[in-house]
Amino acid sequence: MESHIELDRKSEVKGGSAWQGAVAVLERIGFTPLGLALLIVIAILPMVGPFKQEYILSWLIEAAFFGAQAIAFDFTAGFINVINFGFAAFLGLGAYTSALLANTTPFLALRLGISPWIGMWAGALLAGIVGLGLGVLTLRLRGIFAAIMAWFFGIALMGLANNLTSLTRGSLGLHPNTLFNTPSNLPYYYVVLAMLVLIYVVLKQVTKSPYGLAFKAIGQNIDAARASGINPTKYRVANFALSCACAGLLGGFYAHFYASLTPATVMPTSNTVEVLAIAYIGGRGSLWGGVAFAFPFIMFIEWLKSSTTNLPGLELVIYGVLMIVVMIYYPGGLAGIYAWAETHVRAMFYRWRTPRPDIAGHTAADS
Amino acid sequence: MTTSNARVTAAPRVSLAGLTRRTPALIVVGGSVVLAVVIAIVGGPTQIVNTLVTGGMWALMSMGLALIFGVMNIPHFAHGESFMVGAFVAYYIFTPLTNFLQNHPSGLLTALAPFAGIIGAGLAGAVMGIIIERLVVAPLRHRTREGWVMNTFLLTAGISYVLTNGATLTLGADYRGVQQYWDVPPLQFLGVRLTLDRLVAFVISIVVISILWAFMQRSNTGRSIRAVSQDETGAQMVGINLDAVHTLTFALATGVAALAGASLLFMFPAYPTVGQNPLYVSWYVVMLVGLGNVPGAIIGGFIVALLQTATEQFLGLSWINVVPVVLMIIVLLVAPSGIFGSEVKGIQEQ
Repeated sequence: MESHIELDRKSEVKGGSAWQGAVAVLERIGFTPLGLALLIVIAILPMVGPFKQEYILSWLIEAAFFGAQAIAFDFTAGFINVINFGFAAFLGLGAYTSALLANTTPFLALRLGISPWIGMWAGALLAGIVGLGLGVLTLRLRGIFAAIMAWFFGIALMGLANNLTSLTRGSLGLHPNTLFNTPSNLPYYYVVLAMLVLIYVVLKQVTKSPYGLAFKAIGQNIDAARASGINPTKYRVANFALSCACAGLLGGFYAHFYASLTPATVMPTSNTVEVLAIAYIGGRGSLWGGVAFAFPFIMFIEWLKSSTTNLPGLELVIYGVLMIVVMIYYPGGLAGIYAWAETHVRAMFYRWRTPRPDIAGHTAADS
Repeated sequence: MTTSNARVTAAPRVSLAGLTRRTPALIVVGGSVVLAVVIAIVGGPTQIVNTLVTGGMWALMSMGLALIFGVMNIPHFAHGESFMVGAFVAYYIFTPLTNFLQNHPSGLLTALAPFAGIIGAGLAGAVMGIIIERLVVAPLRHRTREGWVMNTFLLTAGISYVLTNGATLTLGADYRGVQQYWDVPPLQFLGVRLTLDRLVAFVISIVVISILWAFMQRSNTGRSIRAVSQDETGAQMVGINLDAVHTLTFALATGVAALAGASLLFMFPAYPTVGQNPLYVSWYVVMLVGLGNVPGAIIGGFIVALLQTATEQFLGLSWINVVPVVLMIIVLLVAPSGIFGSEVKGIQEQ
């Protein structure tokens, strides 16, 4: 089926206009025209009129940060149907790695002073390797075991970060240096946006490759996948490790943007549940759904929080309720609603373009 | 699968028969006994008595978790929030009563006031279980059973999130605890110091476990719960109301967890995230003994309490979450379905 669609597209390109060619190129990277347009809008948003405020910029950064996390999370949850309940801990692992490599303060024994731009990738690499190790150990088991073990592992990592005080200063926290020396948040916004696009494009490419097909097969029915010659453990471990590496990279951004790092703020399971809620409301298995949900919703909530006071955790309650409603009644999430709308619009468009068949069911083109 | 096979798997899951079949089980249980003796020598008998008290409560919590997983195939992630609700309800019943009794002294009522809090918490927990099951779990079950285990896991994670943050939103993040339920000097015997609170908590856990056990084994309702856990279709065919059994199971497990939260109010004050550690521990127990294995969960509760005491004794309190995970990975490598084994269908079907 997939190959047929591919063929159709190619024939379109040959006979089609420049617009269709451009669309085909975009689709190859993993964007639709609408998606690209929205991306451009959020990219230039902090430069126009009423949005040109530092506090709005910090909301946008938060939204992009959570959106990027949701992409990486959905790559595992939506495709191979394994819930990485230690996601926040992997993010914290990346954050701590990057922060420790960049450290120059005399508080700690380790004073390497490596640039955060390199440290981030080191954090991603380490998180990926640790994810690989955990995956090899636990992903042979059924999904629920893997999820619970990832949860336990996350709690253990958080315990380690709390205990190894000579390295991490425990709950006193680290204060890594920032990426830029400017008081403005604008460059950070473009860094996190670039990370978001990078993670999306890379993961989208993987899901479009034969690997992606194997992931989907494993996620839908692991026994059937195994029977058709796919080694589930191999693909699950690859997927899991890649997702963890993305988490580690985002952790690097977190460390050098907020410049404050304690185990209790970066690594708790509740952070994972937050990402999970965003990814699920956005739409399981879509990758982009979480981003599409995170931007408007986080902006709205932050606005609400700034105009009302004394409502701690209101947005978290809304996340939870929305997630429950989505799981019970709209399993496709936002992406599912979009797909439904798109199908109907296309059908309307098609009916408008093609001549109405006569009573016998023949159209003018048939004869 | 042949009929004879079917008859073999239909052996009652809630029984002691499957406990001693496996070597990992013997190693872990034997190791625990040795550990208990070592702790008794190094830390003194009081340590062992305290371990028994927390062990009883972990057993109670894990039993509820195992029951929900065994009967409904739900990996319940909001179990800790039942504990939290139980603690809050007990606090809000017990504190006004105490204030009232300070103005109107009465010896008998002062002795009984804690029980009002604890029993009220158990009932409130059961009611909460009924509401959650009817409002959230049943609609999903009626819509689809596809991917049930993972979906309900995430669903209950969402419930846990809503309850925790809802409690923060409405009640704030303050600690609400009691110094002790009964204001009497601790009992002394054989060099053991034991407060009345701890003794009562232990007695409550043993009594509730026994009652629940007898209920599951002897009563018709208990039998129908076990029937559903073995074969839903078969249970429906003989006229068991599936919805009622599911709601009852959920309410029982939630109520028991709330009871645990209320009984331990003197150890864990009520605050929104108080349930996290009990949830983690009871999941640890259930994974260790095998998902859905109820008798195993009771023994496992004591084993894990011992493990915690040992970690605290020899390495310090802060390592209490690190050491068990390492052990758990080893156990799962050797015996993926837990040391006492698990025969739940849901994990195979995913």
